[in-house]
Amino acid sequence: MKDSSFRGEVQAFLRESLTPEIKRAGELMTSVFSDFDAGLAWHKILYKKGWVAPDWPLEYGGTGWSLSQRYIFQEECKLANAPALFALGLQMLGPMLMQCGTEAQKQQYLPKILSGEDAWCQGYSEPGAGSDLASLMTAAVREGDDYIINGSKIWTSYAQHSNRIFCLVRTSKEGKPQAGISFILIDMDTEGLTVEPIVGLDAPHGHMHIHFVDVRVPAANLVGEENQGWQVAKSLLEFERGGHNYAIDHKKQMAKIRRQANSQYSANRVLWKDNPVFSAKFADVAVDALALEFTELRVKGAFEAGENAGPLSSLTKVMGTEIGQRFNELSLEIMAEHAFVKQLDALTPSFEGEVIGPACGLTTMPEYINNRSATIYGGTAEIQRDIIAKRVLLL
Amino acid sequence: MFIEYSEEQTMLRDSAEKYLRDNYSFENRQATVKESAGFNADQWQTFADLGWLAMTFQEDAGGFGGGALETMILCEQFGKYLVLEPYLESVVLVGGLIEVGGQTAIREQYLSGLIAGQLQGALAYLEEGSVGDPLQVQMRAESSAGGFLLSGKKTVVLNGPEADFFLVTARTEATDQSSGQGISLFVLDKNAIGLSRKNYKTYDGRSACELELNNVSVGPDAVLGEVGDAYELALPVFHRAVVAVCAEAVGAMDALMAATVDYTKQRKQFGQPLSSFQVLRHRMADMYMEIELTRSLLMATAWKLDNSAPDAAQCVSALKAKMGKAGRFVSHNAIQLHGGIGTTDEFNVGHYFKRLAAISVMFGSRDSHLSRYNQL
Repeated sequence: MKDSSFRGEVQAFLRESLTPEIKRAGELMTSVFSDFDAGLAWHKILYKKGWVAPDWPLEYGGTGWSLSQRYIFQEECKLANAPALFALGLQMLGPMLMQCGTEAQKQQYLPKILSGEDAWCQGYSEPGAGSDLASLMTAAVREGDDYIINGSKIWTSYAQHSNRIFCLVRTSKEGKPQAGISFILIDMDTEGLTVEPIVGLDAPHGHMHIHFVDVRVPAANLVGEENQGWQVAKSLLEFERGGHNYAIDHKKQMAKIRRQANSQYSANRVLWKDNPVFSAKFADVAVDALALEFTELRVKGAFEAGENAGPLSSLTKVMGTEIGQRFNELSLEIMAEHAFVKQLDALTPSFEGEVIGPACGLTTMPEYINNRSATIYGGTAEIQRDIIAKRVLLL
Repeated sequence: MFIEYSEEQTMLRDSAEKYLRDNYSFENRQATVKESAGFNADQWQTFADLGWLAMTFQEDAGGFGGGALETMILCEQFGKYLVLEPYLESVVLVGGLIEVGGQTAIREQYLSGLIAGQLQGALAYLEEGSVGDPLQVQMRAESSAGGFLLSGKKTVVLNGPEADFFLVTARTEATDQSSGQGISLFVLDKNAIGLSRKNYKTYDGRSACELELNNVSVGPDAVLGEVGDAYELALPVFHRAVVAVCAEAVGAMDALMAATVDYTKQRKQFGQPLSSFQVLRHRMADMYMEIELTRSLLMATAWKLDNSAPDAAQCVSALKAKMGKAGRFVSHNAIQLHGGIGTTDEFNVGHYFKRLAAISVMFGSRDSHLSRYNQL
């Protein structure tokens, strides 16, 4: 199918399937996460249509689309304000199980990831192990057919909505730190596992702190061999970096800023869109966003040609998040004092009251606040630059 | 010109620092933020008892005759301890405007109450859609039976929920909407008939409201200064307010700098403290330089305002522009160097960041002050 007619088909589907409330959840996103219930409702609609996992191979429930069709699909969903799916199962665990999981694990977990019945969260970071992830200490000790797990995981997004978690745990202290790590799947309702919220800076979603006290997990839940977890995690981190299309996020941000600049006035009753200083600053970021978009398309081109675009993945994560933050700053400049108004109720999709101030500025401050973490999670901007220096420039 | 503090100014700084260090913990501050009131009334009363609220009023109004430098000294400490109490709103803006423009009756009615900590004021001057520009005043004040009838809306009135009275800008002449001529400033009691408000909290932990006026009737004696001349009247007060918020910003940046240096020395990753990584050391050196440059502009601007220097207004714009850049750089990097913990509610770093974000857009953004700097 031609890309243009495919795009038309996607647009038609979005027009008829995105209910106003689900769409509202997409409009009100203030971070990479959307309202959980609305996201899940959208997940189920996509599942019914057979479009929930375009990146998966056909045999596991994928769509068989080309890379460019998948890109078009993501872009159209984003620009139509479809909410983000809570995608740790679809984007991370699923593909990993296909590569490293046993047949039994695949059969047990993949269908439930697709259907939305299982929600997976990720247990990697620990209070003492952030950028230096390999120093993680949460211990899994073999006892008969089980592992006994003790320790804690931090920044686990949406753990409160998840029924399962995939974790990196320490199974050996021998050799290099990376050599003693294993990858294990845990049910959230296992005895000894507790979830404690971390209150963010006005973030409507939550990151959680998870504590493990003598949590007993069947050894059959290990993915890959014991002490091979780092290799599994590394391929997932690559996936996390290369798999996200920042350019699409930027397009949604730019559309939002244009709405603001077309309706709000700068000094002397000049619309922001006609303010020459602002226009130049917006264009400066927009050009960087465009350059990044073409870089992401290059990565996809290389991937389709069977080449490894690995080094460019670190570039897109750094630039994608930093460009996004610059758009947040421009938005704050336009909305100015209007952005101060804290109205968290109005950020929920079911809100029916009156918004205070211009509705186009409702998400400005929470987006600006939440997006500071974009250059921290998934490998900080400093770590990414180190990777470029070491692996690409061979410094 | 060397900038140095007098003995009294040094004492004021040291005593404010000491009081806040001993009595204004971050935990107590956060407890206040979670309450419905916008600030802690006991703290405010103590500020009054310590003479801080009187500091910058003239002696004949019951003050101590301080100027922009004293405003700066106090606000820098307020910034360092993230003080929520409405010194800017009630004292610098409302108190300042009443002092320069109030007729005797208004001064007598309000000033001593403000200074004693018994009255709260709020300035209502922003309107929806054009918050960056105080000249955009659509609210009308029609002449009526010797007085005026006011109708229209004001947005993001800081300290509005706590205010006993408001100062409101309105057009008394059918001048062009961007004109500095024809704007007047009125005193309104919070219980004035036809006045309604919608209260809320702001992201930086303060309180504010939307104000709606529906044929609110005031007498001719409710006008501050001359009819139609509010902009001229308010300009020096806005200059003082820019010094106040930039001093607060410098105090906040100092606190972020100290916290970041401290944290990176303690936090270890890859077997060594974060502070040993060159990229982070250079980042912190850049933060330090941004702060010190801003501080220099701040001190010079306060001094020039107090001495009516010819380039004082230009320095005000230079200061606000510089603060916008420095505040962003310092607060963004303070969070970045703290990592995840910097994005949590329980840690103070993110709260400084939110306050700096608010200050950066108050009284004009960096860009608007850059162009004003060029024009002056």
